[in-house]
Amino acid sequence: MKTKWTIILLAGLAITAQARIKMVALPERGHTDIRLDNPSATLIEEERVLTLQQGLNQVDFSWKGVSIDSDSIRLTVLGHPDDVTLLNVSYPPNEAALVWEINSKAAVEEKVRISYLLSNIDRLITYKMVADKEETKVDLKSFLVLRNFSGEDFANARVLLDYGEAFERGIQHEETKQLLFLKAGAVPIEKTWTFDAAVKPWDPEKVSGNVGIPVSYKIKNAQESGLGKFALNGGKARVFQDDGSGSTIMLGEDRPALVPIGEKMEVYIGDSRDITVTQKKMTDTRINIRRNNKNQIVLYDTDELITAKIENFKDKPAKLTLIQHIPGQWDMEKCNMEYKLEDASTLKFEIELPPNGKKDFEMHYHRRNIRP
Amino acid sequence: MKRMGMMMIAVALCGAAQAKVDLVTVPTRATVQLTIYNSADMTLVRESRALTLKEGDNKLQFSWANTLIDPTSLEMLPKLNADKIDIQDLVYPPRVKNLGLWNVNSRISGKSPVEISYLTSGLSWRAFYMGTLTPDEKKLRLEGYVRVTNNSGEDYENAQTRLIVGQVHILDQIAQLAQREHPYGSPVSIRMANLEAAPANRPELMKAKRAMVAGAVAMDMAYEAAPKEIKKEGLSEYFLYTIEGTETIPTGWSKRLPSFDTDGIPVVNLYKFEEERYGQQVRRFLSFKNDENHELGDTPIPGGSMKVYRSTGEDSHLSYEGRSSFKYIPVDEKVELDLGSVQNVIVEPKLMKFATDKYKFNRGNISGWNEIRDFKVEVRNTRAVPVKIEIKRNLGTAYWDLDKSGDHGTFEKDDADTVKFTVELQPESKKEFTYQLTTYHGENQER
Repeated sequence: MKTKWTIILLAGLAITAQARIKMVALPERGHTDIRLDNPSATLIEEERVLTLQQGLNQVDFSWKGVSIDSDSIRLTVLGHPDDVTLLNVSYPPNEAALVWEINSKAAVEEKVRISYLLSNIDRLITYKMVADKEETKVDLKSFLVLRNFSGEDFANARVLLDYGEAFERGIQHEETKQLLFLKAGAVPIEKTWTFDAAVKPWDPEKVSGNVGIPVSYKIKNAQESGLGKFALNGGKARVFQDDGSGSTIMLGEDRPALVPIGEKMEVYIGDSRDITVTQKKMTDTRINIRRNNKNQIVLYDTDELITAKIENFKDKPAKLTLIQHIPGQWDMEKCNMEYKLEDASTLKFEIELPPNGKKDFEMHYHRRNIRP
Repeated sequence: MKRMGMMMIAVALCGAAQAKVDLVTVPTRATVQLTIYNSADMTLVRESRALTLKEGDNKLQFSWANTLIDPTSLEMLPKLNADKIDIQDLVYPPRVKNLGLWNVNSRISGKSPVEISYLTSGLSWRAFYMGTLTPDEKKLRLEGYVRVTNNSGEDYENAQTRLIVGQVHILDQIAQLAQREHPYGSPVSIRMANLEAAPANRPELMKAKRAMVAGAVAMDMAYEAAPKEIKKEGLSEYFLYTIEGTETIPTGWSKRLPSFDTDGIPVVNLYKFEEERYGQQVRRFLSFKNDENHELGDTPIPGGSMKVYRSTGEDSHLSYEGRSSFKYIPVDEKVELDLGSVQNVIVEPKLMKFATDKYKFNRGNISGWNEIRDFKVEVRNTRAVPVKIEIKRNLGTAYWDLDKSGDHGTFEKDDADTVKFTVELQPESKKEFTYQLTTYHGENQER
């Protein structure tokens, strides 16, 4: 149900136990701001003109059918802040309302701004990207989706985000509006394939479906990408690709988190079945076994050999990120590819695969000082 | 219940302040293209329509009752004068379902072709195959088909139909997005969506369409002399199949289309034995490679089910050999079609001798020993065709030595505790080999 809320001026000075008599003087809502710069709450700021008498005034502010955090309500005197003073705020029992007690040095038409946090009005960010056929760049569009389920209609308001320019829009209760707010052409992308040995099955032959190597696009939120003006908010991103004949196909969708300036947005689009990794543990034995005087094993090392056959069935080169995990204390005896340590137990290999090519990976390591 | 199609009404406002509203019914879509996925219930629809825009503000209304369209996927793009036509926003008005309103500011007036795209659910396709072996089982004829099904609630007439082979990552089911109460949901804590029955569940609708379509199919057959070709091309990690010409698939109907037909693919009758995986019985596989040497290799082969027949050689009669389903096969990758367990190829491993040895003691307790097992493996091919058999043995430990003799074929270590023997057998023949497995236990593992 849609309800309006009003400002009511009270003539009487004392609030007593008897029913409150409200004298109505409905100030029109003036300029309204909808501030969506904080993703967890929406701040409404609206201007109204109060007709104040000299001396003490009571202004009754009540609402119905909307959810307002009553502690968040603030009154700012805009016209004569030196002459008009807010003395106190009281909350009448069992009402969605509050009463401001305002002292005015003169009878005056005073412009005030009322700010409050309103629930159930928010915004979402979505992305749409269209990659070129070669997958080197994307045309990026970002949409702002305003959702108003607050119970309040806004005929016209200034909508502010944490970046970009403010714009004027009205939005009714239960209305959703989608606006384009960011457009960047030819944003360079990096396409990556990732095989994480802790996540994916080692032997694709033993799996009923195709294993699929996750494929991602990475976009840098920086000036050289035509971006980098503000952090990119998290939201659903749909990725399409130009098919070279005037149409597109959809490649996939993901929901990247907020991307600060200078960092990369990663969008996981789908799984490649044209790259396969068949990993095997060829050796796994205990060495350097140390025993106590009861001849029980107290400490040992391991001798482990992992091999992987990495095949690219595509007729294009690909860069595969291979993630391996070795827990605890360890040292590498021999590894036929270079790696970078992501952390103490995670090894990252960047492997360039030629078109229709194959690479054999071998990693021979010892885990040290293991207690049974 | 009467199904509503999609309709577009252009509401041109003559000046912003004036209340006079022109209602213009836009002609139906000029062309439509369907891109159907099979890893997800999702179809990308792209249609072109010729709008008539007026200079100034235009409101264009698009509604999609009784379809399975994801409203968040709607997009309109002008195909001409894109710089003069500004799509200001897309509004989903309150308390109206399945309706979107575009506010368009145009600096030109007249006919303006636009392209509208969206995602829908309810259209699907799958691949399936028929394989026919020659009597000697050396060659295979492989016929691929695709079957496209429309349960979307919308009749797509004369649609260019394209199929995507690939594993697309999506977050939400399109069917669920299509049935949400509000297009982007609501920040208010979950309200039970007032779900409508999916159009597929409306038999009376399908029945009504049937008579009409039967006529249409008959007509198609009358002047289509050859089956349609399917053009295949790779895009990103996917393959795009474009069916020649256009298709009309009314809702509730499906269509089978030939995808390829390749004869003379050399195949290997491969049999596998691995007790831990397949039990005591041998499993039959048909093996070939998706490459040029096997008359294939132009494109990957999408996964699907396959029925394998064998030509008996007399009067084109067939015998049914079994069914299998296979995964997506990249170009140059080998295919192994699992045709199930058989009894006419037999592998019998037998433990012939067991002994323990090399004991070590510590304070009177056993601290190390070896176990020695002698196995005899008999392999029999009772079939009239040559076969290749892969025998895998799981050794249960990474501490072992193996000594083999006899007709064991090729031997390889498969991983730390598995070995593989590959034996080839002539028709109606048998082979035998033995191996001695020594496993090391306790302190004897420290060698």
